[in-house]
Amino acid sequence: MTAPEKLLEVNHLKKYYPIRGGVFGRKVGEVKAVDDVSFTVRKGETLGIVGESGCGKSTTGRSILRLEEPTSGSITFEGEDLTSLSGEKMRRMRREIQMVFQDPFASLNPRKTAGLAIAEPLEVHGLGDRRERGEKVKELLSVVGLDPYHGERYPHQFSGGQRQRIGIARALAVQPKLIIADEPVSALDVSIQSQVLNLMEDLQEKYDLTYVFIAHDLSVVRHISDRVGVMYLGGMVELADRDELYDHPLHPYTQALLSAVPTPDPEAKRERIILSGDVPSPADPPSGCTFHTRCPHVMDICREIRPSFKNYGGNHFAACHLLEK
Amino acid sequence: MTKTLLEIEGFKMHFHTDKGVVKAVDGIDITVGEGEIVGLVGESGCGKSVTSLSVMGLVPTPPGKVEAGRIQLAGRNLTQLNAKDWRQVRGNDIAMIFQEPMTSLNPVFTIGSQMIEAIRQHRKVGKTEARERAEEALREVGISRKGILNEYPHQLSGGMRQRVMIAMAMVCEPKLLIADEPTTALDVTIQAQILDLMRRLNREKGTSILLITHDLGVVAEMCSRVVVMYAGQVVEETDVHTLFRDPKHPYTMGLLRSIPQLDKRSERLYSIPGNVPNPRKMPTGCRFAPRCEHVHEICLQSNPPLFEIAKEQHTSRCWLHDGEEKEETDRDRTREIVGS
Repeated sequence: MTAPEKLLEVNHLKKYYPIRGGVFGRKVGEVKAVDDVSFTVRKGETLGIVGESGCGKSTTGRSILRLEEPTSGSITFEGEDLTSLSGEKMRRMRREIQMVFQDPFASLNPRKTAGLAIAEPLEVHGLGDRRERGEKVKELLSVVGLDPYHGERYPHQFSGGQRQRIGIARALAVQPKLIIADEPVSALDVSIQSQVLNLMEDLQEKYDLTYVFIAHDLSVVRHISDRVGVMYLGGMVELADRDELYDHPLHPYTQALLSAVPTPDPEAKRERIILSGDVPSPADPPSGCTFHTRCPHVMDICREIRPSFKNYGGNHFAACHLLEK
Repeated sequence: MTKTLLEIEGFKMHFHTDKGVVKAVDGIDITVGEGEIVGLVGESGCGKSVTSLSVMGLVPTPPGKVEAGRIQLAGRNLTQLNAKDWRQVRGNDIAMIFQEPMTSLNPVFTIGSQMIEAIRQHRKVGKTEARERAEEALREVGISRKGILNEYPHQLSGGMRQRVMIAMAMVCEPKLLIADEPTTALDVTIQAQILDLMRRLNREKGTSILLITHDLGVVAEMCSRVVVMYAGQVVEETDVHTLFRDPKHPYTMGLLRSIPQLDKRSERLYSIPGNVPNPRKMPTGCRFAPRCEHVHEICLQSNPPLFEIAKEQHTSRCWLHDGEEKEETDRDRTREIVGS
């Protein structure tokens, strides 16, 4: 394989939210939502990011678009550092990077028809005149599998799957290179979920798109991704090619996570690792390795030193002291 | 065969609204044996939650109306109970846990006061004893933290709240636990803990569980028998092994093929075309016909009854099984032949 072209590079991304307290609203602590995350996205691939609620996967996705202003770190898109762009330049940059959200109903204005919603990004970016935009909307509707008359309808008249199709059409309107999809199929029933996943795959091929696919459902992420990153409590604990990660997980958290997924096969006998306890609060993360409070293989060093994120061969990255020996 | 605990027979729950009648549950038969875990599967709007609420007597009437059928618990007909009798049944005989434990716990009372209230509602015990029982129940579900009775729901994590709900449901040792999507709002590692707990309660206390879920993985792992619902009707019922190995109804087959699997990867997912029918405008024939790839002439004209595939063990509501040596089940009362 020739060296794949990097489209996006995230380096040491941090996003801390201040906790304010007291009479004067002084900063009394921080929530480390994303704490030193680095990864690259290659052109044309789908990078899946999985993790449980509160692990920082959505904040990571939103930080790339600077919908959340990163605390530190760099985000390089096609050689340009997004974190240093001015507001106006960043706005223009969002033509290249679009986002698809989990709840398509919440991201659509209930008083605007689907057609107007899809035309809005074209308007914002000053693309085409009124007539051209109308044509484009019709084309986009058919691309995502809807009919032109759907453009006249309001969000409440659509089913969940159709709304997500509108969300996708809207993201596609400005012909972006990268789409960040944050739990795009989590709110949908299985039979509709597979329709939307297939649509996303078709579009990727047709328009040469690159996806960052954020989800909590490990089976869905395996299906759609080329590479997968696993996050836990604000940090990336493992990152590898899809099959490598699912067949040979290195990090104890990934192993536990994969073993906890119920398989739709009653004959399957699997060793289940049931983790005790809950995910700790990101406002007061454990010292050392953040997973040490729940890890079945915890050692003394884990409580003190944070393991570094290293390549253990074949671009299989993981952060765990167990592997360092 | 185990003794039958819950028996739902030809049950219809319709909602009369200004815009027409919504036939949310339209003639279903479900049985749950003693000590059995039965899965009730289906997508949003198929009527699985209305079924569970009907068993608990929690559907407001009006707008809801029981059009036909009955629900029997250990021989007692629940559909004819008055409000006072219902209070006796709920909690003592049947308990229920919901998807979102935060909405079922009162945010302004402590865990302790809510549990003690529940216990004293059903058992003639003093406050101290009720408190001890509450602590005991919490230990059963794996919460040993001392001060938890004095904490408020918002201070607990999602998994902990669901444990509290299960503890509360189990304090009076009900015969039947209805779990409506109990782990849908939880993360996978926490889901594994809760499923483990429910399996333990079933094994140790012999509690029967009616588990309502859309997650076929959870079904495969927990249930011995599975009922699949579509558009207010049961479309297939069989034991869990047969369902996953040899599903008969095209809807069940489609559902199983649409889920991405963790250890197998298909290049392209199967997807059932179209959407679930509008409950106010059900198709005249088979309700799945507009989305079915095996659709025949007869499917568009009349709704198939439940055909028995193998005696007493496997039923499927599909014309494809007509004449497959088996006769239709006698308990099916929902056959609607149009124009006859």
